Amino acid sequence: MKRALKFAASEFLLVIVVALYLLALFRDPARAGEAAVASVRTFLGVLPIIVAVFGALGLFGVWVDKKAVAERLGEGSGFGTLVLAALFGTVLVGPVYVVFPLLKVVREHGARWAVIGAVLTAWAVKIPMVPLEIGMLGLRFSLSRSLLVALSAIPLGLLLEAAMRGSERRNAQVIREGSSV
Amino acid sequence: MEKYVGYGYLVLVAIGYIITARRSRQKARVAGTSAVKAFANIALTFLAVFGLVGLIEVFVPPTLVERFLGADGSLLPLLAGGLAGSVAAGPPAAAYPIAASLLNSGAWAPAVAAFIVSWTLVGVVSLPFEAKTFGWRFAIARNGLSFLFALLIGVLMGVVL
Repeated sequence: MKRALKFAASEFLLVIVVALYLLALFRDPARAGEAAVASVRTFLGVLPIIVAVFGALGLFGVWVDKKAVAERLGEGSGFGTLVLAALFGTVLVGPVYVVFPLLKVVREHGARWAVIGAVLTAWAVKIPMVPLEIGMLGLRFSLSRSLLVALSAIPLGLLLEAAMRGSERRNAQVIREGSSV
Repeated sequence: MEKYVGYGYLVLVAIGYIITARRSRQKARVAGTSAVKAFANIALTFLAVFGLVGLIEVFVPPTLVERFLGADGSLLPLLAGGLAGSVAAGPPAAAYPIAASLLNSGAWAPAVAAFIVSWTLVGVVSLPFEAKTFGWRFAIARNGLSFLFALLIGVLMGVVL
């Protein structure tokens, strides 16, 4: 029972979709069948890309030396480092619980907030998955989106840094005022 | 053209594995196992997402999608797309099939772009974890800025497409 609940919580979308299919089957079996056929058709259409995407994720994982790049990002603070951060983000693969701690280490090595922000923004480009996006949404859509996200990485990083700097200055002021009282 | 992207990519990845295996068998094996593991982790989500795509195609009338996400001369559909993407929790690969079915049902391209960008950039569900790692100020500032950028990118997509 406990395990079933845990499964339902982690795969809640699947539970919802199965429930919707049961409902559809009950009310309109013919159209429920149509929906299932449409699902399978869509899936088979992109299956080669899906296989390739996961294969590529594995390759990126072994070839991108995360530790070496992380160290370099911590050392520099110029515009070149921001560009490197954005490039690194586009090839970075991994779930949130791997990427956030990795960037925390980068920050502790002395990286600017803008570097962290640029990596996290460019991380949304997901180069290994772009072909899947092209297959489903078309070349123009996918390339425009990827390019615009990549170009946003550095501006967003700098704005984020400005927002963080505001807080640090205020904190410093609070400390100063506190000491003068 | 889009039909051949999959096969071309497959060939490219296969070549990548051959080159990797020649350099180091161990490395290729690690890549292969992590690929299979990553797929196994997401397989059930894929089942759900593609199942959902079929349901949308058959049961959700295009007029409904158009009403919420269709071009109506205002920025509301853009906002709706961005918000839906922000609260959606799931692997980015799952966003594309859903976005494609919305687009086919008549959704406005900028709204769909905002949906995808905020799906990958804004994480309401992972917000507590982000705050624990970098602090609340960072998490809120980053997600807030990312949401604004998702809308902006959506608008720019409208210009480009």
